[in-house]
Amino acid sequence: MRYATTIAALLLTGMACHGAETSPDARAIVRAAVDHWRGVSSHSVMSMLIHRPDWERSMTMEAWTKGDEKSLVRVIEPKKDRGNGTLTDDNEMWTFSPKVNRVIKIPSSMMGQSWLGSDFSNKDVARADDIIDQYDHTLLETEDVDGITVYEIRSVPHEQAAVVWGREELRVRDDHVLLEHRFYDQDGELVKTLETLEIEEMGGRTIASRQRMVKADAPGEWTEIEVISVEYEIDIRDSVFTLSNLRNPRD
Amino acid sequence: MNLVLRLAWRNLWRQPRRTWLTTGAMVFSNVLLVFMISLQFGMYRLMIENSLQAFTGHMQVQARGYIDDKKMRQSVPDIVSLANELREELDGGAVAARATAFALASSEERSYGIAVFGVEPQFEPRVSNIPGLVGEGRYLESNDAAEVVIGAVLARNLKVGVGDELTLLGSGRDGSFAAVVADVVGIFDSGVAELDRTIAEMPLGLFQDVFYMHGAGHQVVVNAPRLGQVAEFRQRVAALLPDDADLVVHDWDALLPGLKQAIQADISSAVFMYAVLVILVAFSVLNTQLMSVLERTHEFGIVLALGLKPGRLGRLVMLETALMGLLGLCIGALIGGAVTGWLGVQGFTMPGMDEMGAKFNLPSRLHPQVTVASLLSGPAVVFLFSLLASVYPALRLRRLQPVEAMRAA
Repeated sequence: MRYATTIAALLLTGMACHGAETSPDARAIVRAAVDHWRGVSSHSVMSMLIHRPDWERSMTMEAWTKGDEKSLVRVIEPKKDRGNGTLTDDNEMWTFSPKVNRVIKIPSSMMGQSWLGSDFSNKDVARADDIIDQYDHTLLETEDVDGITVYEIRSVPHEQAAVVWGREELRVRDDHVLLEHRFYDQDGELVKTLETLEIEEMGGRTIASRQRMVKADAPGEWTEIEVISVEYEIDIRDSVFTLSNLRNPRD
Repeated sequence: MNLVLRLAWRNLWRQPRRTWLTTGAMVFSNVLLVFMISLQFGMYRLMIENSLQAFTGHMQVQARGYIDDKKMRQSVPDIVSLANELREELDGGAVAARATAFALASSEERSYGIAVFGVEPQFEPRVSNIPGLVGEGRYLESNDAAEVVIGAVLARNLKVGVGDELTLLGSGRDGSFAAVVADVVGIFDSGVAELDRTIAEMPLGLFQDVFYMHGAGHQVVVNAPRLGQVAEFRQRVAALLPDDADLVVHDWDALLPGLKQAIQADISSAVFMYAVLVILVAFSVLNTQLMSVLERTHEFGIVLALGLKPGRLGRLVMLETALMGLLGLCIGALIGGAVTGWLGVQGFTMPGMDEMGAKFNLPSRLHPQVTVASLLSGPAVVFLFSLLASVYPALRLRRLQPVEAMRAA
């Protein structure tokens, strides 16, 4: 552990010598990337494509986020799944199905399960900000790709962090667009990779508009999320992120 | 030969106490072996039968690859017709179709991840004893009512009783949202913690509807009349499967690999113990025979001098042992069979049986089962090793010189 910190310190000082203006702090880069993606608040429409070797399925969803903790996702299409949704608030998650007209809290034992049948887990959706608070970040490398600086960052969870991953590695551009996010298990094996396929200017920001989550042991199985439209920094009432709104949409 | 046999028999009773003591050691180990082997194999049979009866069945027809991946899409199309066809071809045999999915079960208060099974209420009782173990309420009746039967531990965890509603949430076969609210009509208590904690059963028709199965399912359970007929039945079932569908039949040891491994591990540790017992008996025989040969050196010298061939003397000693061994075998098997048979009828219990029983689906009272194999296999091995033990004393006789032998005390 001491070695790791020493190396990290060396790397950082090395960076500082190279860096022209500001010394890039790994934690700040991650923080900025998460903030950039989510904004203080956002409202978006996305499509999700779940691909398997022998079948495919796509959904369109509407999502609202506010701060680090609150999010609401509701399915618009296909028609027979319309109205299904999930609400997350501070690591807790609820799901609603209009077929049974019930809101159900997802037990913590189920947080590792697939979210809406995709390759994202419930945890991926509910705990997006864990990576800032519960990890130590190290800047591994800075490279120049087509005139844009790309940071390669390794994030290792704290000893006590309630996280299933052994480490995560991120590639972030200096305009805060996440290019790649790799998840490794406790043994250092790659489990899954979130990669950015398209970058576009949307809602006044340059964002990763199409991302794909691929499982390392099953390359033929992936889930793609494409942002269709997005607005940032809009005023969203807190009442949007309530169980009653999950059940009965008021918009 | 007749003479040698008569001589051997008489020789045995020249020292009746010694003969009885050695025979006693054989009888004791034989009784022990008969009892333990009967108990052991009786227990294995129970373990297998009870584990399979609970839920798995003797064999299952599944889509190829389902056994490893357990993916919802690896399904058997039109499963009810396939089950009907198999049932007809197997003369109304025990055949039932099932479908299964992972779901989030939630009551008013709590939620748990469980395995939901769609079953045919009218045929399920023939392949599983869960329907018979419904203690509270009743088992499923119609094929498409919104009803579930759940395990006792799950019911306790969810805090639901008969008559309460249960919400099940999962993914359908096409990946879409599957959800249903069903009434808990029965609670079963199988005593197998894993089943009682993680299983809910609903009618197959309802399951196919809720999970968008379009008539498909995941397993057709087939039971042979007896465990011994599984291999034969498996071939019959495999021959009946349609050629175009990618279906396979798995028998119970493929479906429950842990069960066979547990049994094999237990057999190897038992075999080690039996081996120690048999070798101890063999050494006691060796000791007796060596002593009896040594003390007769003078006498053997005389008969050799009179012209008896050394080989015949060796045979005499072997025959003495064989007669003693046969005596031990008969008495041992008789007593062992009687004691074990009596315990088999009465049943008995050991401290700690309840705990082990819960783990391997055994009743807390044991009934060892005497079969020809369990009655004779142990004693036969003891007999064989006793004979082997007398080879050394017999061989010694071949090197006997008449003159020196006669001089021995």
